[in-house]
Amino acid sequence: MEKKLSEMNYEEEGRVGSIEQDLKNKVAGMGIRVGKNLKMITKHPLSGPIVVEVDGAHTSLALSIADRITVEVKK
Amino acid sequence: MKKILLMGNPNVGKSVFFNRLTGANVIESNYPGTTVDYTKGYMKGNSEDFEIIDVPGTFSLEAKDKAEEVAVKMLEEEKGALIICVIDASKIERGLYLCLEIIEKGYSVVMALNMWDVAEDKNVQIDIEKLKNILNIPVVPTVAISGKGFKEVVLSLKKAASVEVKEIMEKVGEIK
Repeated sequence: MEKKLSEMNYEEEGRVGSIEQDLKNKVAGMGIRVGKNLKMITKHPLSGPIVVEVDGAHTSLALSIADRITVEVKK
Repeated sequence: MKKILLMGNPNVGKSVFFNRLTGANVIESNYPGTTVDYTKGYMKGNSEDFEIIDVPGTFSLEAKDKAEEVAVKMLEEEKGALIICVIDASKIERGLYLCLEIIEKGYSVVMALNMWDVAEDKNVQIDIEKLKNILNIPVVPTVAISGKGFKEVVLSLKKAASVEVKEIMEKVGEIK
């Protein structure tokens, strides 16, 4: 099932499906690219940033950025 | 005097590296973004002296905030500088991304795989010989807080050379 990265639940894992074009280079340096496996670690309250695990490392993203990335979630 | 730029992602230990190389005492703390401006220092090498610049951490050469802007600008202004690319060995992929961007710009690079002890604890295994072979630059495992690998980093500075990305691509192709 495909959903926005910002909509993933805790501990949920998935593979990056698409990233909005103008965002691609921005997040690539943080290890987030199409086809990468992600795991949701934390979502901060009050529309705060989310933390995902990618390649064994944690990285945080603004919610507004996570809104523009889609993930194919593993069941 | 030859300049050396310390570059790498935020929170990989560049400032600890800087202190080790120069004997200075720059503030270190364990969260990203401690260095937002740059710091300069000097190091005595075997045959020549170097000016060392501690550059703020950046994920890529496409700046997203003030600290990253400083980093990218500094790199552009120091065309002839040597770069020590400091990578957190336990998060090697992100570091390689930036390092490759710097190589692509034509700079002479030495790669320091810092936090080698942390990578070992996390059971991250890195084939250094293979990396050296692919990138054709010196690759040195280091632990900045204890000083492991620093002698080798300094010794390998004269082996740093700029490499064509095309050559790297060809070697990566062979592996596949």
